[in-house]
Amino acid sequence: MGDTLITIIAILLAAVLMFVFPLMTMSDNTDDISQLSVESATTDFVDDVRTTGRLNMDKYSDFVSTISATGNTYDIEMEAKIMDENPGKKTTQAISSKIGEDVYYSMYTSQILDAIRPANSTLALKEGDIFSATVRNTNLTMSQQLKNFFYKVTGNNSYTIAAEHAGLVTANGTAN
Amino acid sequence: MKIQSLAVIFIIIVLPISMVLTTFVQSQVQTIQLQISYDTKLDNATYDALKAFQLNTINSGTSDETNSKLRDIEASVNAFFTSIASHFNITGYTQEDLQNYVPALVYTMYDGYYIYSKNTNTLTDKDYAPGTTYQDGEQIYSLKPYVPYSCRYKRGNIDVVINYSLDNYITVQGIAEDGTAINLSGYVMTPENITDVNKSGYFYNSVRYKGIQISGENILQEYIGAGGDADLYYFIKVNGAKYYKKDPNSTSWSTFVNKDQYGSQSPYQVTDTDYSAPEYFARSKEFMEQLQYYGILDLKEGDACDASGTVKLVDAQNGTDWDSDLTFDSNMGIFERNANDTDGTLENTNSNFNQHRLKIIRYSIEKNLSAAIANYNNYDDGMTYYFRMPKLQEDEWDKILNHISIISFMQGLPIGGKIYNGYSIITNTKNKELVTEDSIYIIGGNDTVDNLANVANTNTARFYNVRSKDFISDTNYVTPALGVLNIDFEPITQVLAGGTQETFFRRPQLADYGSVVTQTNLDYDETEDIYQYLDRVIDDYGEKGRNLARVYYTALGRERQSMNRTVPAASSARESAEAAASAGTGGG
Repeated sequence: MGDTLITIIAILLAAVLMFVFPLMTMSDNTDDISQLSVESATTDFVDDVRTTGRLNMDKYSDFVSTISATGNTYDIEMEAKIMDENPGKKTTQAISSKIGEDVYYSMYTSQILDAIRPANSTLALKEGDIFSATVRNTNLTMSQQLKNFFYKVTGNNSYTIAAEHAGLVTANGTAN
Repeated sequence: MKIQSLAVIFIIIVLPISMVLTTFVQSQVQTIQLQISYDTKLDNATYDALKAFQLNTINSGTSDETNSKLRDIEASVNAFFTSIASHFNITGYTQEDLQNYVPALVYTMYDGYYIYSKNTNTLTDKDYAPGTTYQDGEQIYSLKPYVPYSCRYKRGNIDVVINYSLDNYITVQGIAEDGTAINLSGYVMTPENITDVNKSGYFYNSVRYKGIQISGENILQEYIGAGGDADLYYFIKVNGAKYYKKDPNSTSWSTFVNKDQYGSQSPYQVTDTDYSAPEYFARSKEFMEQLQYYGILDLKEGDACDASGTVKLVDAQNGTDWDSDLTFDSNMGIFERNANDTDGTLENTNSNFNQHRLKIIRYSIEKNLSAAIANYNNYDDGMTYYFRMPKLQEDEWDKILNHISIISFMQGLPIGGKIYNGYSIITNTKNKELVTEDSIYIIGGNDTVDNLANVANTNTARFYNVRSKDFISDTNYVTPALGVLNIDFEPITQVLAGGTQETFFRRPQLADYGSVVTQTNLDYDETEDIYQYLDRVIDDYGEKGRNLARVYYTALGRERQSMNRTVPAASSARESAEAAASAGTGGG
C-alpha cells in the first residue's frame, strides 16, 4: 500500500521533472530571446526616427512586423514631445536652449498613428523634439502560463517582455 | 530500472545542459544590451559633436572661411571625444583609451569632406623650426586634407574634372572639346525654365523662372542686439559674409564685431537693390550655355574615370577590385533628361544629373574612407583588432548624400566575448554650408493686420514652412511676404566690449505652430519634391500659388547666390566694385 503511494508520487514528480521543468526552461529561454529581439527592434526603430526626424507608415509597419515575428502580441506606445521654440524669444537675455525654459507638447500613440495613416504622409519631427516608444507583451506567453500554474502570482497587467527607448531628435524631418 | 532512478539520471543529464544554456542566453542578452547602449552612446556623442559645430558656425560670421571652418571642426572633434569619454566613463575608459577605437570621423561638407584620423606628420625642411608642435614622422590624430566630391571625365578631346556639391552647384576644370582650358562654375538648372533675362549694366534686374517673375529686392534689414539695445541694421550678404550699415544714407558697409564695434569694410560696392536672386537664375542659364558651347553637356556616365585618367569606372566595376554596390551605366548622358524625370527638369531629384552626382559623391566617400580605415591598421598602437569599413545601408547613404553630416566609427571595443563594431550618422539641417530646398522659411501674415511692407520688424507676423496649408487656404489665408534662411531664426550670442554676453534673435517673428513647431498643418506628400509641390500649387491655386513660388524662389536664389564658395561664383556686386575701381572712383 505504502509502496504504491510512493510509486504514484514518484511518477508524478518524474512527470513534472521530465516534462514541465524542461518546458519551463525552454519557454523562459524563448521569452529571453523575444525580449532581446524586441529590445533591439525598439532601439533601432526609435534611433531611426530620431536621426531622420521622420516617421511614416512603412517604418512603423516594419517595426510591428519585426516584433510580431516573436509570436506574441504587443502593446506599442509612442510619444513625441514637440519642442516649442517660441517662449525663449519673448524674454530678453534668454537662451532658448536653457534647461527649464522650453515647453514641450506631447503627441501620443493614437495621434501619431492618425498623422501617418493617410497614404504618403509623414510625421515630421524637428531637431530638439523627443521621441520615445514603449513595447509590452499583451498575451500570456507559455512561460507566463506555466509560472501562473505554479506560483499564482498574476494580474491583468503582468508582462515579461518589455522594451523602451527614447532620445532627442537630431535632424529636421521635412528635408526632402 | 526504477522510474525514480530514471528521473534522477534524467535530471543529472538535463540540469547542467539547461543551466549552461540559460547562462549562455543571458550572456548573449547582456552583450546585445551592451551593444545597444554603445550604439546610443555613439549616437549621442556624434550629435554632441554636430551640435558643437552648429553652434560655432551659427555664432561666427566667418565660419564658412576655410581656416575658421577647420577651427570649428577641430572644436567639434574635441566635443565628440569629450562626450564619448564622459559617456563611457562609467565603464572605465578614458578619452585616450577610446581614441584608439575610433578609426575615423568624417565631416561631409558642401563640396567635399574631411576625415579625422591618425596619420603620420610630414614636415618639409622649409616648415621645420625648433619648437614646432609636431615632429616629422610623428603619428598624430588630425584632420586629413579636404577631399572634394570630384570625378575626372575623358571623351574625345575633353579631359575635365567636375567638382560636385550637395546641391546643384558644380565646377568644371580642364580641357574642353575645342582644346581651350576652362574653369567654369555655376548652378545646373534647366535652361529652358529660365526666360526673359533682363540685364542692365552689371546687374540682372529680373528674370523669369518657370514663368514666375524674379526681381531684385530692397536691401533687407535685421536686428542686432538684445532687449532694449536691439537695433535694425541694413545688411547685404556677399560671398558668405554679411556687411551692415545702420544709416540708410550711408554708403559704408562693414562687417560686424559687436554693437560697439564695426569690423572691416566691404570690398564691394552695394546698390540700393539686392539683385542676388535674379542673378542666381540668370547666371545659371549662362553657365549652362557655356557648358553647351564647350561640349560638356555631351558627357556620358561611361566617360567617368579614375584620377589617373586610365581606367573608366564602368570597366572598373566589372573587375575584382571593385567593392562598391554602385553601378555606372556607360550610355547614360549626365545632363540628359530621362524617363523617370517626370517634369523633365535637371532640378528633379530623379534626373540623370542628380543620380550621377550622388553616385560620384558616394563613390568618392566610399573609396577614401575605406582606405583611411584600412590604413589605420598600419599604426602600431597595441590594437589587435583588424579595422575595416562597415557596409552602410541605402537609407544611410541617403542621409549622407543630402545633408551636411558627421559619420563616426567605433571598432574593436570588447563587449562580453564579442567585439563591438558600430558607427553613427548624424545629419544637420541648420548650418551655413548648404542651402537646401528645405532650408527656407517664409515670413507671412495678414495683409491688413500686419505691416507686411516692412516685414523685417513686424513682430506680429509669423514664419512658416513653405508647405504650410495657410498659404493656400481660403478661410485662413496668410500672405507670403519674405523668404528667410532657417539659421536666421536661431539665437545669436554676442560678446560686448565689456565682456558681457547677450543673446538675441535676428528676426522678431515667432514660429507658426501648425507648420513649424508641430509640423502637422502641412500639405506634404513624400513623393513630391519642392519644385513639384510648387508646380502643383500653381496649377491648383493660381495666383496664391504663384505668389508663394515667387517669394520662395527669390529667397532660394538670394541665399544660394550669396553663399561662400571654394571657387566663388561671380557676383554683380563685385563686378561693379571692379568697374568702379577701374573708373577711378573707388569701391564703397
